Amino acid sequence: MEDSPIGPRAGGLYRRQNFVTALGFGIVLGFIGWLVSHQLLQGSNWGSDMVVTVTMVAWVVGFNIGMGTFNAPIRWALGHDPSHEDELYAAGVGQGSSRYWKFCTDHKVVGTQYLVLVMVLFGVGGTLAMMIRTQLITPHSSFLDPQTYNAIVTIHGMCMIIATIIMVSGPFTNFVVPIMIGAKDMAFPRLNAMSFWVVVSAVPCLLSTFFLGGVNAGWTTYAPLSVQAPPAMDAFAITIITFVVSVTVAGINTIVTVITMRAKGMTMGRLPIFVWGSVIGGALGLYAMPAFLMAMTGMITDRVTGTSFFVPQVGGSAWLWENVFWIMGHPEVYVILLPPVAALLEVASTFSRKPVFGYKVLVAGMVAIASLSIMVWAHHMFTTGWAPDLAGPFMLTTELISIPTGIIFLCVIGTIWKGSIWTRLPMYFVYLFLWNFIIGGVTGIYLSDVPADQFFHGDMFVTAHFHYTLLGGAMIGATAALCYWFPKVTARMLNERIGKVAFWMIAIGIQITYFGQFWEGFQGMPRRVAYYDPIFLRANQMSTAGAYLLMLGWIVLLYAMIHSIRHGKRAPANPWYSKTLEWHVPTPVPMENFLVDPVVTSDPYTYGEPEPEEPSRPEPELVPVGTSEQSGTGGDV
Amino acid sequence: MAITTTEHGDAHGDGAGHGDLAGSGGHHETAEQRDHKERLALWIFVGGDAVFLLLELFTWFYLRALNTGGLWRGTSCTKASPCTDGLGNPITQEIAKANPWYSVGVAALAVISALLIWAVERSSRNRDSRGVISGAAGLALLALLATVALQIYQFQVLPFTTIDGAYASTYEFFMGSTLAHLILVTFIGFGLWNRARQGRYDEGNWHRVRIIRFFAVWIAVTACVLTVVSSLFS
Amino acid sequence: MSFESQADDIEHDVFSGEPFFSRPGGKIFIIWLILTAVGVLIGFYAPHHLLPSLDASTGTDVFRTIVFFTVLAAPVAGFVYAVAAYSLIAWRHTGDQDEPPPDGPAVRGNGPMTVLWLVVSTLLVIVLLVWGLAVWSAQQVTHPNTLQVNVTGQQWFWTFSYPGTNIETRSLVLPLNRPVEFNVTSVDVTHGFWPVNMGNQVDANPGEVTVLRTTPNRMGHFEVRCSQLCGLYHSFMYASGSVVTPSQFSRWLRSQGASATSANQIARVSTS
Repeated sequence: MEDSPIGPRAGGLYRRQNFVTALGFGIVLGFIGWLVSHQLLQGSNWGSDMVVTVTMVAWVVGFNIGMGTFNAPIRWALGHDPSHEDELYAAGVGQGSSRYWKFCTDHKVVGTQYLVLVMVLFGVGGTLAMMIRTQLITPHSSFLDPQTYNAIVTIHGMCMIIATIIMVSGPFTNFVVPIMIGAKDMAFPRLNAMSFWVVVSAVPCLLSTFFLGGVNAGWTTYAPLSVQAPPAMDAFAITIITFVVSVTVAGINTIVTVITMRAKGMTMGRLPIFVWGSVIGGALGLYAMPAFLMAMTGMITDRVTGTSFFVPQVGGSAWLWENVFWIMGHPEVYVILLPPVAALLEVASTFSRKPVFGYKVLVAGMVAIASLSIMVWAHHMFTTGWAPDLAGPFMLTTELISIPTGIIFLCVIGTIWKGSIWTRLPMYFVYLFLWNFIIGGVTGIYLSDVPADQFFHGDMFVTAHFHYTLLGGAMIGATAALCYWFPKVTARMLNERIGKVAFWMIAIGIQITYFGQFWEGFQGMPRRVAYYDPIFLRANQMSTAGAYLLMLGWIVLLYAMIHSIRHGKRAPANPWYSKTLEWHVPTPVPMENFLVDPVVTSDPYTYGEPEPEEPSRPEPELVPVGTSEQSGTGGDV
Repeated sequence: MAITTTEHGDAHGDGAGHGDLAGSGGHHETAEQRDHKERLALWIFVGGDAVFLLLELFTWFYLRALNTGGLWRGTSCTKASPCTDGLGNPITQEIAKANPWYSVGVAALAVISALLIWAVERSSRNRDSRGVISGAAGLALLALLATVALQIYQFQVLPFTTIDGAYASTYEFFMGSTLAHLILVTFIGFGLWNRARQGRYDEGNWHRVRIIRFFAVWIAVTACVLTVVSSLFS
Repeated sequence: MSFESQADDIEHDVFSGEPFFSRPGGKIFIIWLILTAVGVLIGFYAPHHLLPSLDASTGTDVFRTIVFFTVLAAPVAGFVYAVAAYSLIAWRHTGDQDEPPPDGPAVRGNGPMTVLWLVVSTLLVIVLLVWGLAVWSAQQVTHPNTLQVNVTGQQWFWTFSYPGTNIETRSLVLPLNRPVEFNVTSVDVTHGFWPVNMGNQVDANPGEVTVLRTTPNRMGHFEVRCSQLCGLYHSFMYASGSVVTPSQFSRWLRSQGASATSANQIARVSTS
């Protein structure tokens, strides 16, 4: 490497820690945990549950010790504060591409790491989905046995939930938001790296469930079925608890960053709408995740110590599980939805060459969605019989949410209205979103009606509805974000020819797959079944055919990405001629994003407005990163 | 977006307050800016923890109201018609209430610990000597350790175990949650004492101590709330 | 909140002298009309042809709700789709795709449009809500003549019993046009008691009894499926049911072991 500005001993323990040491420590500590708990607890009541729980916790803790997640707090407690050179090492200075395998505090590295993780998770979840759809080609397939099928359904769901929660807030909030607000990094760069590696440590716990008997209760793991499940359920619960820590930390980081680290002149009213979506989604996650934690810790104690939270035979209540779970579960889908929708609005604005329509109303709308989402949870429980008198109030709150959701549609089409529509690849996904999310939203309204829900609950109609909103809506928004920011993140242009082929396969694949499932739902096919009445055959065949097309579409998109990273045209700093700040830094983005601190004088939606008179001043001298004149190395910190 | 650029001038006002942990990522910021970020982060975290607390209370009151199978405290279980516990053994009488004074003691000790941390903060603000500050921090750490010890001890003296119905389960869950929070605060208290001995909070560097004080107060509040509910609403 | 209302463009469209259907608004109107018609047709076709036969009062409620909601949704969806489609027809930049098109108008919002949108969506929500509440509360009405049936779910079958007799069966038989109240519970995990053709369902919860009310109004066979994942053989957890005349019902009860008196009493037929 060329002259590194930091010494050969900078970074301390971080120098020796990476993904390999993390795996090593995780495996070793997990093994020790298994050994010790197995010796102490075998033969005791709930012994195998305790052993799995201890092993999984030991794995997570060990992985993170080996990764360096705990270095900073322990050093803090011991009073050994990192030097400035240590901080630079932690930010990846002087390490080249090995920093992607390490605890690296640079938000751009963390964003890229998240992007890879998200793609891996979608690959796993998508493969599981294809196994489900393959099973359902015929009414009584011998492809999968019932226990395996149920386990696959569960992990497909949970894997996708994890992936969709982080699919925009991980890669793009982290990579883009600090630059968008004119900051050099997130408020807490170490917490940022921590939130990534903590999710990574949770993934093997999730996948281990297949080897521990399989969780057979769906991703919603209703009690008491889940309390009776094999020890896989303990691994599942530890996965969630670990994941909750990550999302909570990430949410705090996002909010504090945006509130405290905006550049001069970047008032809240000038923030790009994507920043608002990231903040509101992150804040909502902070409400939802503690509920998930409560549910899963109660689940663990029910399974490992025999508490009576969710088992009615000993004083618990299945309804308690359902309430606590859905108190998490409904806000959580808006945690999933809001960041991609906000990203989509950036794309719509840039590719219509127009300001975002109704900025203030949009922000108010997103806040309204988030607030209302806290009050709708029991629409998942209309048919449980838990509180018939509350059906009316929850129907009210649920239908009310459609008002701010409608505002989003107004603002997207308002942005497009009379714009100069530049039909580059990211814009394709905006149109697909509009098509899909109308269908998803309208079918949600059917489900919000209590009498109609009494037919549809637990039926494939519900499955089709939420796939239209989560996949057809949120994930398509995330794909738009991917195509949009691809040049900035990878420094290459995404091959649009291949990308458009992928687009059409995905677009058509979604319709065939999920209209097939609406058909199944209308006919009365329950969800989460491995075998079905032959009257549902045609609809299932349609859905499976669509799924294969959809899968191929995603694979083609992946191919487009890889091909472009390797052979694509080098991307200019601002290929989309957009006005948000991230496009006004060089590509690849310098270490501290800005060579000089920006001062903001307007919002980023000045399309169609005359450029303000620039005061005449000499061009500031741009100096490359790493020299002594670079801002950021002055003085001791 | 219209931007102008300015030379990165001297934004330092960072004389005091830099003794404690170097700024995140090596970026220049004043002690006040860092404190603002950390306080905001703490309050947001407390917000999330408050949601968790509310759900603990929801669990308590909901299970109590439902009294599924009469097994909140098994008030209707008799020898003639026994109920069943989590291991299939019969429950032939009402589950005894826990002695509330242990929970009260834990909450009181948590409050005392918070007060002692506040004393550390006050010492630091007053620019007392290192000995005074670290002495106060040491006392705070001892108080926290005592709180943890008492909370652990309470598990031994309960008249029931987790298998004895919903009241017993939720009561012990409250204790476990308090214990987890206390362990976290104790770790922070250890760091506080250690760093106080190293003089990190001399010269009026009280920002971090204040944040720790806020957190310790919050933990004391949650301990008190849980104690009140579990003692008064059995 | 004040919006920077740049409504000039829109007002100009509406009140200027150009023929309506040559203007953007006019063309969008045509596309909207077509899409709405398609949506309404779907609303009348799809539920009718795709739903299973709905043999009870609650089933009729479902059918009417789905049709009504689809017809209401059609113009809303149509509007969004029409604007989106028109934007690609009329405003699409067709020049060099590597160069950005010239900027569009600097319209940041439209106060009147936003207010109109909010008002219309609120009105729609009110309509949906009133409809839903009306149907729901009608379903809660209890009738004096109600037949009680106990339903017990367990892994992985349903058991039905008729209070007043000692009968326990695996198939569900109900008399025509008689309000029925199912008292549903489970002995292990949560199941979903879903007599599909009745158009409603309620969970079977262990430790609780939940109630489902409906009035079968068509004779014939119906399906009972389990709608809540309940473990290994959830896919196989179904029961068959039939709606018969009251006298057939009474005969069936007797065939299951009920005495003649209790059978007639439950079936509300005079002794024959």
